[in-house]
Amino acid sequence: MRRETQNILLILLGGALLKLSFTDMYLRYVKAGLQPLLIAAGAVMILLAGLAIVRDLRSPKEAEEAHGDHEHRSSRSPWMLLLPVLAVFLIAPPALGADTVNRSDRNAAQESKSLNGFAALPEGAVIPLSLGEFVTRTAWDDSGSLDNRVVKLTGFVVRKNDSTYVARLAISCCAADASPIKVRMTGAGFDSMPTDQWVEVTGKVVPGSATKETAYVPTFTVAEIAPVATPVDTYES
Amino acid sequence: MRFVAETRHQAGGNAGCPPGIISEVTITSEIRDRRPSGRGPLRGKVTSLEVLCLLLVLALVLQDWLIGVLDAPQLRTASTVFVAVCVQAMPFLVFGVLISGAIAAFVPASALRRLLPKKTALAVPVAGLAGVALPGCECASVPVARRLMQQGVPPAVALSFLLAAPAVNPIVLVATAVAFRDAPMMVPARFVGSLLTAVVMGWLWTRFGKAEWIAERALRKFEEKEGVSRWTVFTETARHDLVEAGGFLVLGGVFAAAFNVLVPTAWMETLGAQIVLGVVVMAFLAVILALCSEADAFVAVSMTALPLLPRLVFLVVGPAVDVKLFALQAGTFGKSFALRFAPATFVVAIASALVAGVVFL
Repeated sequence: MRRETQNILLILLGGALLKLSFTDMYLRYVKAGLQPLLIAAGAVMILLAGLAIVRDLRSPKEAEEAHGDHEHRSSRSPWMLLLPVLAVFLIAPPALGADTVNRSDRNAAQESKSLNGFAALPEGAVIPLSLGEFVTRTAWDDSGSLDNRVVKLTGFVVRKNDSTYVARLAISCCAADASPIKVRMTGAGFDSMPTDQWVEVTGKVVPGSATKETAYVPTFTVAEIAPVATPVDTYES
Repeated sequence: MRFVAETRHQAGGNAGCPPGIISEVTITSEIRDRRPSGRGPLRGKVTSLEVLCLLLVLALVLQDWLIGVLDAPQLRTASTVFVAVCVQAMPFLVFGVLISGAIAAFVPASALRRLLPKKTALAVPVAGLAGVALPGCECASVPVARRLMQQGVPPAVALSFLLAAPAVNPIVLVATAVAFRDAPMMVPARFVGSLLTAVVMGWLWTRFGKAEWIAERALRKFEEKEGVSRWTVFTETARHDLVEAGGFLVLGGVFAAAFNVLVPTAWMETLGAQIVLGVVVMAFLAVILALCSEADAFVAVSMTALPLLPRLVFLVVGPAVDVKLFALQAGTFGKSFALRFAPATFVVAIASALVAGVVFL
């Protein structure tokens, strides 16, 4: 591949990284903490390619000989760089959803046992909780602090076999390591919600429903369910 | 402006040929001499620039069709995982090529020789421990190891560094400690297991390795050029490494995404509950999932159905050999190297993890 083409590919790829990090799109793939690194990586790519282009325009021969190995071989691997560029600019794959949740039977959140016990739940008629905290409490908190409390959960609708769940994915680094957190819904109102629709559900846990037999997936009696807009960062950590 | 027709060997190259056929013809002085001077672009030749433009236009025209094709849930998941792996790894690869460029430009070969013990057998563990100083994941260490070889460091020593760096650096160890709060011995077990893998592979290479397995291009000595500034050497080397390694990283991302969708993870998790089977399954899972070494501890900790030992195997094998790394190594050091090195590393890593596990867990 010619130097010129390589440089254009590098600029495109750097541009793709910058576009992701400036538009919140990067949150579909990685954690928020990576943003500065992504911006730096994109900038370095564009800078390296830009310097090479400037050098070629000034004195073609010197730049070519600057790095010890001339490309004395056919190299097709740089063409692969086009794939992420096209994927980001044209397809912009969505954040992971129901399909990923159904790939695993695990329920991730209950596995990280809270070290210092559980803090008291806030007062109030309706307690907003993350799915992760809700599942962890149902699995590990023996004091029954959640029983008879009205809780509000946010997640997307997942269907498997005859059950309907409200679920989220937890990532620790990037979407490749996503693991599901889910809560089974009973009651009414969720049948009309399409799969992958983001919802806010209010209701109560069925006490003692998160057991080894249910793979620590608690059951949740839905009192109210309402569709909401997809959040900017769909993952829990 | 310089114009070199890449498809010179296809006399009168035809405009419709697919990208796969376009191979780069060496820009040797011989060809350069034959190039008619002072002329514009050679007419009737297709270069990679035109191919790139054609591909971009085609992709734009077919955008809606592409999105429609990728609308199946599995393909959507796969494409998201693909982009995620690429996006996650790119900053670390950039970091690696910058270090590689800096070594090429600012670290003379003699300095490296002075730093390392003369005897390769001694230099191997030293290089393994030096991996502590490269805070990144596995993508960063491949270009650095290659540059070390080019600067005259014995391959066994550079390879030991290559295997140790992604697994024993502070960031990865802290991540492991955070993930395994309930089993703090995983941290020393992982450190020792990975270091052992790196050192044993280094010694094995010293004893059995053959220089000709490594592609000649990877070992070619870096020549000091008169009148080229160090800054130019730095940026050109980094740019070149980034373009080369980046392509293979993307290829690894394609594999990782495909396996992520095709391999039934739930099934493997149940299978792994048996200890012997668990070790084997987790070792293979580490290879095909191709997780970043900074993230794999969090995935391993979540597999509570498994005993600690198979999970340790997962943590030791992953940073040493996985599909993404295999693609990177094959691209950097050549296929005949990767085909021997990766399976050997796989076996050695499992054995090292078992030894470390018996001692620490």
